[in-house]
Amino acid sequence: MTLSYCLLLAAALFCVGIYGLLARRQVVAILLSVELMANAANIVFIAFGHFRGGPTGQVFTVFSLALTVAEVVVGLALVLLLYRRHGDTQVLLASEMKG
Amino acid sequence: MSVLALAILALAAPASAALVLAVVPALRKHGWPAAVLCILGSTVSFGAALSILATCVDDPSPRVLVVPWLRASGVTMAEVGVRVDGVVAAMLAVVTLVALCVQVFSLGYMHAEAKPAYGRYFAYHALFLLSMNVLVVAPNLLQLFAGWELVGTTSYLLIGFYFKKPSAAHAAVKAFWVTKFADMGFLIGLLTLFVASGSFGWDAKLAPGTATAVTLLFFLAVVGKSAQFPLHVWLPDAMEGPTPVSALLHAATMVAAGVFLVVRADPLFAQAPATRTVMLALGAATALFAACLALVQTDIKKVLAYSTCSQLGYMVAALGAGSVLGGFFHLTTHAFFKALLFLAAGSAIHAVHSNDIGDMGGLAKRMPLTTTAFIVGALALAGIPGLSGFFSKDMVLEAVEGKLGSLPWAALLATAFLTAFYMGRVVFVAFLGKPSGEAAEHAHEPGWSMRGPLVVLAILAAGGGVLAAPFAKLYGTEYHFEMGVGPSIAAALGISGFAFAYLAFGRARRERTPGLLSLVQRIADTSAVDRFYELVYRRAALALADGLGWFDRYVVDGVINLLGYSTLEAGSRARAIQTGYAPDYVLAAMLGVVGLAFWAVTR
Repeated sequence: MTLSYCLLLAAALFCVGIYGLLARRQVVAILLSVELMANAANIVFIAFGHFRGGPTGQVFTVFSLALTVAEVVVGLALVLLLYRRHGDTQVLLASEMKG
Repeated sequence: MSVLALAILALAAPASAALVLAVVPALRKHGWPAAVLCILGSTVSFGAALSILATCVDDPSPRVLVVPWLRASGVTMAEVGVRVDGVVAAMLAVVTLVALCVQVFSLGYMHAEAKPAYGRYFAYHALFLLSMNVLVVAPNLLQLFAGWELVGTTSYLLIGFYFKKPSAAHAAVKAFWVTKFADMGFLIGLLTLFVASGSFGWDAKLAPGTATAVTLLFFLAVVGKSAQFPLHVWLPDAMEGPTPVSALLHAATMVAAGVFLVVRADPLFAQAPATRTVMLALGAATALFAACLALVQTDIKKVLAYSTCSQLGYMVAALGAGSVLGGFFHLTTHAFFKALLFLAAGSAIHAVHSNDIGDMGGLAKRMPLTTTAFIVGALALAGIPGLSGFFSKDMVLEAVEGKLGSLPWAALLATAFLTAFYMGRVVFVAFLGKPSGEAAEHAHEPGWSMRGPLVVLAILAAGGGVLAAPFAKLYGTEYHFEMGVGPSIAAALGISGFAFAYLAFGRARRERTPGLLSLVQRIADTSAVDRFYELVYRRAALALADGLGWFDRYVVDGVINLLGYSTLEAGSRARAIQTGYAPDYVLAAMLGVVGLAFWAVTR
């Protein structure tokens, strides 16, 4: 197992996340896609940390996890509001900013 | 109190009256409180002016108190404040005295007006006195200009006092435009002076060419304000205002501001002999021309208006001949006797409700005091020996004698004769002889408020000659009167003018104008000048205004409108990008990231 494989895995995961982000219409699915992208970044941290040695990569990953949790809390709150407002969680319902 | 504090008091009293009357409408609505406040302000101002005069007769040296004004990039461009010297002391006393007399006279004269109009009238008067005092005590030409424009504005307001009458409204606008045209000369002259000397003071040393240009520009303003030919056309129309206004603004003080300007700026005018020559010629010509016009008027106020033009021509000619004292002293005596004549005429108009001398006649029996006052004024104006006008005219004639081949001198002597003749005509037709109608028969003397000012001014008009020596002292020179050849000729012409008037109008009341006068009327018809201006205005000014209007509408506004329209259009096009759908924004962000990454890799 080399660094390249780890980075390729991370890139693949990230692209899946982007695809989900753009293609899905349910807000919860979009949030899940964002999680995928965040975890792709975590894999990159771990991989570099492992091959370079030292605890830095792992520490950053813990920070990143904590941030992701916070982000999901805010995201789910938004989902809840969207549901209350429109009775559904379709992302296209939130289009008040249309020019 | 120091002289400067008194000068500030002379400004502050009418200023506070005008301010209070401006901000408290209730005072104006009831009429009489406005009159009380206005006259109170004028009385304080007059008292202060008298104390200043008393000090300055002993010591006419200038005293100045100024604060910086118009600071620009660390440099003080001008100053504002008060300056008191002999000339200011004399002028201030004359202005406040005549203003006080006229305001007291107005108490009775304007009595029949509605209360709000009565209040408005006195509010304007307070504003006028303030403006005139600002002009008189000005320490530099810039403040003088400010006062100059202020008196122009109050003149506009007071000429148009009966604004519901179309002729009054037109006269006000005409006066405003004509004088404003002339004032452009003042403004351009001021700027030229500032560029050339770096200050607005009147004691700058200028290059001969600059001095001539600046003084000629100033003189243009004088021609407008002091109603000299060919800008005299507004003054007869200005008689649409109430008669006391004609007495104060359009005879005694405001129109004399032009003369005062030349007196003030004498150090500049002394550097420009060419300007003085122009003044001498134009002044003498106006004096003669306006006197001819005065011969044929039937409206008593118009006679006096043209007479004012004529006498201002005397003053301008004196200044052109270099006799500042002569011009200034004639200004003073003229202020007394012309204010007196206007107020007496106002008293007669008040009694018979007509301006036409043909409707008066025989007022002497019914109104002895008014008649006496008018005759005293007429004799003083005609230069009958012993009365004030005789001494001041003599100063003018003496100064003019021998200048420009004696032509101006001859013109002014002819004017002296004509002056006596037309004043004699008014006296014999309107005041002596037989009553011409119902109104004239039932005329009666006005109340005390109108009689009092007549008496005061009559005394000054008669005895003003004794002021000549103190005046010369205030101006820093000496004056001695000698009954030589010149004064004798002037006196003889004045007396013979009255005699001819008696022959023509005195013995038998004549309705029709004598043949010679109708000839004069035809030659000197002032409406020709009016028609000329109208033509110039129609052809040139309107065409120019139309052209500029087109340019403004389609070019200046066009550019602005195009800018606005294209911004709007661009906005509504760009709006389509904002779909409001979150995935679109995410896509845009992704593309952005990809773009940035691409840029980072390839650079």
